Amino acid sequence: MNCKLCSALFQEFLEDSLSEELIVEVQDHIRTCSKCRVSLRTYTLTVTLSRKVDPPCCVSPETLDRLKKIIRERLLKTNGVPV
Amino acid sequence: MGKKINKQADADLVRDLKQGDPAAMEEIVKRYSNKVYNLAYHLTRDAHAAEEIMQDVFLTVIAKIGTLTTEAYFSTWLYRVTTNAAYGYLRKEKKFSEQTPVEDIDQEQYLDYDWSTLPDDVLLSEESKEVLRESIDSLPEAMRTVVVLKDVEGLKNEEIAETLGISVPAVKSRLHRGRLILRQLLSEYFSKYTEPSGEEK
Repeated sequence: MNCKLCSALFQEFLEDSLSEELIVEVQDHIRTCSKCRVSLRTYTLTVTLSRKVDPPCCVSPETLDRLKKIIRERLLKTNGVPV
Repeated sequence: MGKKINKQADADLVRDLKQGDPAAMEEIVKRYSNKVYNLAYHLTRDAHAAEEIMQDVFLTVIAKIGTLTTEAYFSTWLYRVTTNAAYGYLRKEKKFSEQTPVEDIDQEQYLDYDWSTLPDDVLLSEESKEVLRESIDSLPEAMRTVVVLKDVEGLKNEEIAETLGISVPAVKSRLHRGRLILRQLLSEYFSKYTEPSGEEK
C-alpha cells in the first residue's frame, strides 16, 4: 500500500468499515511509515476536536414557550382546532 | 392517545399531525427543538438567527407535513428543511464566507508535525476552538455542511446523503476532503507549539 491510498482510507478505517484485508494493509503501512502514522493521528484528532468545538446548546424555556404559542396559533388558523 | 405519546415512533406522530392533532406537534417540538436549534446554530453561528430558523422550520412542518410521503423519514426531512432554512438565511444575509480553494491546501507541508501529542489545555483551549470554528466556516459550502452534519451533529453518512439529496460516496468524499483541509489548518496553527516529528521511517 502506498501513502496516497492509505490516506484515502482513513475515513473508512476510523468508521471500521474496511474489509479485514484492507485493515491489515493500513495497519501494516502505518507501522512502517511515520508520515502516515502521524497523519492518521492528526486526522483522528481533527475529527475528535470538531465534535467538541461547539457543545450542544439548549433552547431557552422562554424561546420554547414563545415557539409553542406561535405553533398553537398557527394550528388554530390551519385546522380551526382550539389547543 | 396522549398517555403514551412520549413513546410513540416519529412515524405515528407524523400520521397524527397529518390528522391535525396538536398533541403530536407538541411532542415533535419537544423531541426536536434542540436538534433543530443546534443545527441552525452550527450552520449560521448566530444564536438569534438559529431561533428564527427554528421557528420557521416548525411552521414549515405544519404547512408541509402533508408532502412527507414516508413518515418514518421525518427526522431526515426535518434536517433537510433546517439545512435549507439555514442556507436561505446565509444567502439573504450574504454571510457565505469566502471559500478556501481546495487546491490552495498543501497537504504535504505539515504532515511531519505530530500535534496529537500536545496537552489537552492546548488542544482544547478557547483559542484553538476558535481557530477550528473559523476553519470550519472557511470550508466550501458543500464540504462545510457535511462536516457540520457528521462531525459536529453526529449524523450517519446515509442520513446526510438523504438530507442533502446526494449519494453516500459524495458524502464521504466531501467529508474526507473537508477533514483534510481542517487538519491542515489545525496543523498550521498548532505548529507554533511543536517541532517536526523525530520519528524515523
